[in-house]
Amino acid sequence: MEEILSKFFEISKDPYTQVSKWKEKNEKKVVGVYPMWIPEEIVHASGMLPVVLWRGDEPVTIGHAHVPPFNCGITRSFTDDALREKLKFLDGMIFYRMCLQEISLEFIMEHNAQPKPEYIGYFYFPAVFDRNPALKEFLIDELQDFKRDMENLNGIEITNESLKKSIQIYNKNKEILRNLYELRRNSSGKIKAKEVQAIVHSSMLLPKEDHTRMMEELLPQLEKRKAATNGKIKVILTGALCQTVQGDLLDLIEDLGMEVVDDDMYVGSRYFALDANVNGDPIQALADRYMEDEPVCPTKGEWAKNWGEHLIDVVKQNKADGVISLLIKFCPPHLCWYPAVREKLAEEGIPHTMIEVEHEVTSLDPVRTRLEAFTEMIKGGI
Amino acid sequence: MAKEYRQNRLETTRNMGPLVDKHWADLRAAKEKGQKVAWSAGPAFLLPYAMGMKCHFMAGYAAYCGGRKAADQVIEAAESGGDLIDTCSYHKLHTGMFYAVKEGIPIREDVILPIPDLMISARLCPEQSHYGESLAQRFNVRVAGIDFPIPRKKEDTPKIEKFVVKQHKEVLIPLLEEICGKPFDYDEMRRILKVEKEACLIRNECWEFMKRKPATWTLWDYGVSIAPIFYMMGNPAGIEYYKKLKAELEERASKNIPAILPDGERFRIMWDGWLPWAFLGIFIRKLIPNGVIPICGRYPWEFFPHPEMIDPDADDIIENWVHQWYGGQNIMWHDFPGGALELIEELIEDYSIDGIIFFTSKTCRAWLAHPDLMHIAERKFGIPGVLIDADMVDSRMVSEAQIDSRLQAFIERMDAMKRR
Ligand code: SF4
Ligand code: SF4
Repeated sequence: MEEILSKFFEISKDPYTQVSKWKEKNEKKVVGVYPMWIPEEIVHASGMLPVVLWRGDEPVTIGHAHVPPFNCGITRSFTDDALREKLKFLDGMIFYRMCLQEISLEFIMEHNAQPKPEYIGYFYFPAVFDRNPALKEFLIDELQDFKRDMENLNGIEITNESLKKSIQIYNKNKEILRNLYELRRNSSGKIKAKEVQAIVHSSMLLPKEDHTRMMEELLPQLEKRKAATNGKIKVILTGALCQTVQGDLLDLIEDLGMEVVDDDMYVGSRYFALDANVNGDPIQALADRYMEDEPVCPTKGEWAKNWGEHLIDVVKQNKADGVISLLIKFCPPHLCWYPAVREKLAEEGIPHTMIEVEHEVTSLDPVRTRLEAFTEMIKGGI
Repeated sequence: MAKEYRQNRLETTRNMGPLVDKHWADLRAAKEKGQKVAWSAGPAFLLPYAMGMKCHFMAGYAAYCGGRKAADQVIEAAESGGDLIDTCSYHKLHTGMFYAVKEGIPIREDVILPIPDLMISARLCPEQSHYGESLAQRFNVRVAGIDFPIPRKKEDTPKIEKFVVKQHKEVLIPLLEEICGKPFDYDEMRRILKVEKEACLIRNECWEFMKRKPATWTLWDYGVSIAPIFYMMGNPAGIEYYKKLKAELEERASKNIPAILPDGERFRIMWDGWLPWAFLGIFIRKLIPNGVIPICGRYPWEFFPHPEMIDPDADDIIENWVHQWYGGQNIMWHDFPGGALELIEELIEDYSIDGIIFFTSKTCRAWLAHPDLMHIAERKFGIPGVLIDADMVDSRMVSEAQIDSRLQAFIERMDAMKRR
């Protein structure tokens, strides 16, 4: 068990080495897809390895000549990595129209990536708004273009059958991750938040088949693991769009007597929340998945549902005591949604606090103070 | 002795204040008169206008509120309602207004907005949909969305244009018809565009005076004059305004009277970014004493619309309208960095530009890849640039010390280039 877990930590901590080693060994192309909604299944079906692009853990250096310091961590860190030849194993990079900071990356990569990958893609996935037919139609056209580009990049035709097969492989991995979360939910204190993050992050970086296999081995062992202490404050983490958060921050939350029983983070439950349908037309199925309204995604122009209501459901489902929003510093989609979430949780009387997650963390002291106040507040109310 | 440069203000621009005040006063009074009100983020406001609704346009309001020095107050209200400092300040002007009205927080009378019956988010910038989300979720406002993608490649334009037209026809128009309880008024839309075309044709003639050396007016004068062809579209007063302006510019040109005294500018610059509505005075007071004037830029409304492309009698007026953005002159394409470079090159040439200020807002990243554009423009066109990061309306984001030191170095570089 410990061996598999440490493998996941290794992959999550150093994707550069892991992914390039995989590429060398398998002699296949690797395509980096930007978080959070690019259907990796299409890349997979064309016989390449899709990896979800990530935030490194080094301070940004030359990247700042291209991306201002008031952009979010992943956009700065990714740019820095690409300029410092740290992503040279990527044969392709794919972006889509998600937020302003991410939209810039396509041009920045075209002009500055070292080396420039063979393929840089950009798609106009639309907002979901009221889910009117024009939006869906446009999305399907974009997915078709995406499919065509992947076929051209690897010279392999993507058939309906091959795409469905990829969808199945991805669905299976999602299912096993959901099982992991189920286990966490039902067995207090068995799995640390940091471990969960490393597991989910590894799924974004490894071939799904390998990840699923490792999980099949790991899960039964985790079930047998002895629970840590009980009686802690149960919290839900939400936010952290597009990127991992520092393991130290997750540890701090737990060290302060809280237990993360579930989450609503991108490198977390959001990543595997939605299967695509394997029956019918696979492109249509991927479009339908994008159009789903749960989990509420602040980047998609969601108006019908309130993110806060979704969180209330998660809190109830887990009998949690409170919610911690992890807001990536300078992330506008989350910033804009934050007041609505805060208000909704307050209306429901759910204790809530917000931590701004910076890329360059100098000290966790201010966060500690905030979290301590939060635990006191909950204890006062319990 | 160093030359003393002074601003030479136009007479005509003094007429703008009352025009603009009336526009916003009418909007404030709309509800009492039983008129429907819309708020609009992005360029779809023409359609509610055609339906006889009163409509506010987000950036126009920001310009007005910032120009009236009331933005800080509204932003403060937004933050007291839970918004955070890093959120787009245009967004906060709106959530702040709502929150202030709802909670009874005192806001200056002249910048108050009526609560809308409809909010239209035309999602050029993904953040424009966040307005919709906030207003829908927090304040129960009915919202309509039009996705308005900026093309990454010129060849992507036709498919995007088709998509945008479709949304206008299938989403926005039926919704407006439902809210207003009447069929869409295509005739009124044509009338508005006819007036717009006429005003813009004269405005285009006025631009020719910016190409002149020395220039007879500046980008800042145009900023002050922009309302009639922008959010006051269809108001015939705009035509009168531009006629007067043109006459004054002609007179200046005939007598060789420049935009700055005593004898015109030393450096002609491009301003690449939003106009700093609340700080127009601060910037111009720093530029003019150095003989620097902003002449043109890439502000999307600056070259909007292309009147020669407006056809009020077009078979399909919606298509004609959307084509303003995507077709011919490529206004939207110029917002993507690849297209931006194309336009920057043209403007450098047409307006004899000596340097470029890349003005970035700390809360808005819509000016994609600004640092790269600056490096490329320097390399490719030999034109020095400087990055200024501040904000259009939030005074906390503006550091005069940063501006001073960067401008100084920039002016020295332009000077060195000129001496070569
Ligand atoms: S959604 Fe937020 S975290 Fe993701 S790239 Fe955009 S700003 Fe960064
Ligand atoms: S982020 Fe910029 S472009 Fe987008 S709404 Fe705000 S000010 Fe406008």
